[in-house]
This record gives sequence, C-alpha cells and structure tokens, in this order.
Amino acid sequence: MPNWKNLQEQSFLESNARERAIGLVDEGTFTELAGPVDRRCSPHLEVLGEAVEFDDGIVTGVGRVGVTPVFVVSQEGRFIGGSVGEVGGAKMVNTIRLATEFHDKLVAEHPDLTDAEKPVVVISFETGGVRLHEANAGLLAHAEVMDQLQRARGKVPVIAVIGSKVGCFGGMGFVAAATDAIVMSEFGRLGLTGPEVIEQEMGKEEFDSGDRALVFRTTGGKHKYVMGDCNFLVADSIAAFRAQIAELAPLPVSEFEAMRRIGSPEKVEKQLRAVALAAEMHPDDARDVWAKAGNAEPVSLTDMPLADFLAQVKRLSV
Amino acid sequence: MALNTLEFDLKAEGGSQVVKTLVHTGVVGSSDMEVLMEPKDLGGSVSVRIVTPVSGFDDLWKRVLETFVTRNALADLRLEINDNNATPAVVLLRLQQALSEAAGN
Repeated sequence: MPNWKNLQEQSFLESNARERAIGLVDEGTFTELAGPVDRRCSPHLEVLGEAVEFDDGIVTGVGRVGVTPVFVVSQEGRFIGGSVGEVGGAKMVNTIRLATEFHDKLVAEHPDLTDAEKPVVVISFETGGVRLHEANAGLLAHAEVMDQLQRARGKVPVIAVIGSKVGCFGGMGFVAAATDAIVMSEFGRLGLTGPEVIEQEMGKEEFDSGDRALVFRTTGGKHKYVMGDCNFLVADSIAAFRAQIAELAPLPVSEFEAMRRIGSPEKVEKQLRAVALAAEMHPDDARDVWAKAGNAEPVSLTDMPLADFLAQVKRLSV
Repeated sequence: MALNTLEFDLKAEGGSQVVKTLVHTGVVGSSDMEVLMEPKDLGGSVSVRIVTPVSGFDDLWKRVLETFVTRNALADLRLEINDNNATPAVVLLRLQQALSEAAGN
C-alpha cells in the first residue's frame, strides 16, 4: 500500500485511483471493499478478448476524515478510459447504498449524533462514461447510480472530486452534476460530450479538440468555477482535495442542498436563466462569458496562479 | 478471440518464501499490467497465472517469469497477472516493484 504521507503532496492529476482513495481520507483509515483480492473482473471484457482488471477500474472503500465516516469511490482513467461497466457500476451503486444504510442504522441507534459524525460519500471521477463494450449493463449502471444519489439525498452528502487526467465526461458528467457538491482543480475537466466527440460530430470548425487551451477554457476547472458548475477550486495535490473534503464533511445536509445545481424548481429556473443568457449573448468563446460575469480582463485569468485567481475572479450570477 | 490464460509452475534453486503478505501493484493501462502476489504453501514452487489479450508469446512469458523467480530466489508464492500488452521489460519492472512493496520499501 502506498505511503500516505508521500501521497499528500503528490499531484492529484498524476495519482492513480487507489492512491487517491487512500490519500483522500485520514492516514491509515482506508479499508478497500471489493478490492483486487476479490478478483471481480468484468465477464464481458473476457468474452471480447479485452484485458481485464481485478478491480474493474474502480476502487471502493471506506475511511475517515476527522470524525466523519467517508465512503469512497475512485475511478481509474488508465483502465479503458475509466469507463463504467457492469462490475464497476455495481461497486459504485453499492458503496453509495452502503453509506445510506449505514446512515439510517447509525441515526436510529444514536439519535443525538452530530452532523460531523454522519457519513458522507466522496466520488473521485476519472471517466468518459459508459463502457461501450458492455453498453446496456454500463447504461443501467449509470441509472442505478443516479437512483442511489436520490436515495442518499437529504441524508448522506455526496461530494464529487474532479482533477484527474481523463476528466469527467459522458454519462458520468450527468452523475457528477447530480451530486451535492463538486470540488475541482484547474486541471480537472467536466462536461457531457467530450471534446473529441464534439469535433467528430460537428467538425473542427465548431470545436478543435487538439486545441488544449480551448478545451481547458471550455471544460476546465477555472471555467466551471466561473460558471458555478463546480463549487470549489483547489490546488492540484491530494492534500488540497482532502482539506476541502475535511471542511465540507461536518456540514449539515441543508448546507449541501444549497450547493446543488439541480433538484428543485428554483434550481431549474436558475438553469433556464443561464440558457436564456446564452441565447441572448451568443458567446463565441468561454472568455465572453467570463467578461459578462464582470471580469474586465478575461484573457489574464487563464494563466493566473490559483490564489490570485480565487482572490480576483468574478463568478457568473444569473 | 477470448483472453489467453497461461498457467505454469516454476522452481528456483535455493528459493525461500520472501513475500509474507499479499501485495497488489499496477494498473492495467495500455502496455501495462497488474500483479497480485500471495504467499502460499506450494512445496517450494511458484505458481503463475497470466491473463492477456496477446497470444503466441507463451514461451517468452515463461522465460521472463523464470528470470524474475530465479533472480530473486522466490518460493511458495502465487502470482496472478492481468496484462494489457506489456513488454517483457515492463513486466519485469512491475514484478520487481511488487516485490519491493512486499518487502516494505
């Protein structure tokens, strides 16, 4: 098992799923559930003659941050692009379910529990969504995760952390949007249709997926922070993400409800106002929206160090 | 088209049980592999299971694993590998990494 202390200052972007899972909770508290030892490989990949992995590309387990029990899901982008199939999907679903059941049991047995002592779920996304090799099972897994998020809502806060190489796209982009709070680094990317797919469908004129600067200012953490699509922007280290989780973990569920992007008529209306603004503005580039949000020199935001960015940036309000 | 599964046993001269706990290392990325190392009473043998999409390199796999087992004088060990087109050099590197992790380094 990797050394926890060494992991803390490690780049989140460069960390694999297991390193993130171990490092995001307190030292020595992580217990992996349905890990490599259980040898739950995908039966579909085997039939197709594709390489398999003992954990099917998703690390699940439970640890602690302070006094808060933290159920962790961590996706591995290097294994088939972090795609979610039947086994990995089931691991995600059951981790969230376990957290909710644990919460119910805990609250029933200890009615005087503080908010800090109630469990949370942390999902470290690194995925392009459905694993096409197991299409139907993968799609179903997405639906089941959504279902579990709804069941957890109002009881167990679900925190999304996004700062890995592959980003968070496809169906899992929807799943991330349906969590309670999203923490990103500026290297994290979040969206529905990935840059390559947009280019493939709409042409290079519409979106050049080889233009990394364009990709990052359209899907990257800084843009998402301006847009309100992510709640917090942190530095690229496991320690920084863990510190943000530690800050969120003790909060009551009502405060998480306010951080959500979807899930109430008011939130829907806010989303619609953003759509109306886009129709009215016809922005050519993310920078047009940054300027609209009140940033006088939007170009300077891209390369600005994180601390300065957080101190200066104006976020879009609709 | 199905995955290729190789199973064989190896025995090193003067081998001893070096690995005391179960270790897992690696990610099955492109040109990479993962290994589960588990101490097991096998009468001095090392039993190997490799699952790989590659076929036609069974002898090479055996030679690489033989090199690893003899070089480190290993015994009473179970090795399970999930491979995704790793080259022999990468295979040796990952195995050595797992071994040093098992030794607590």
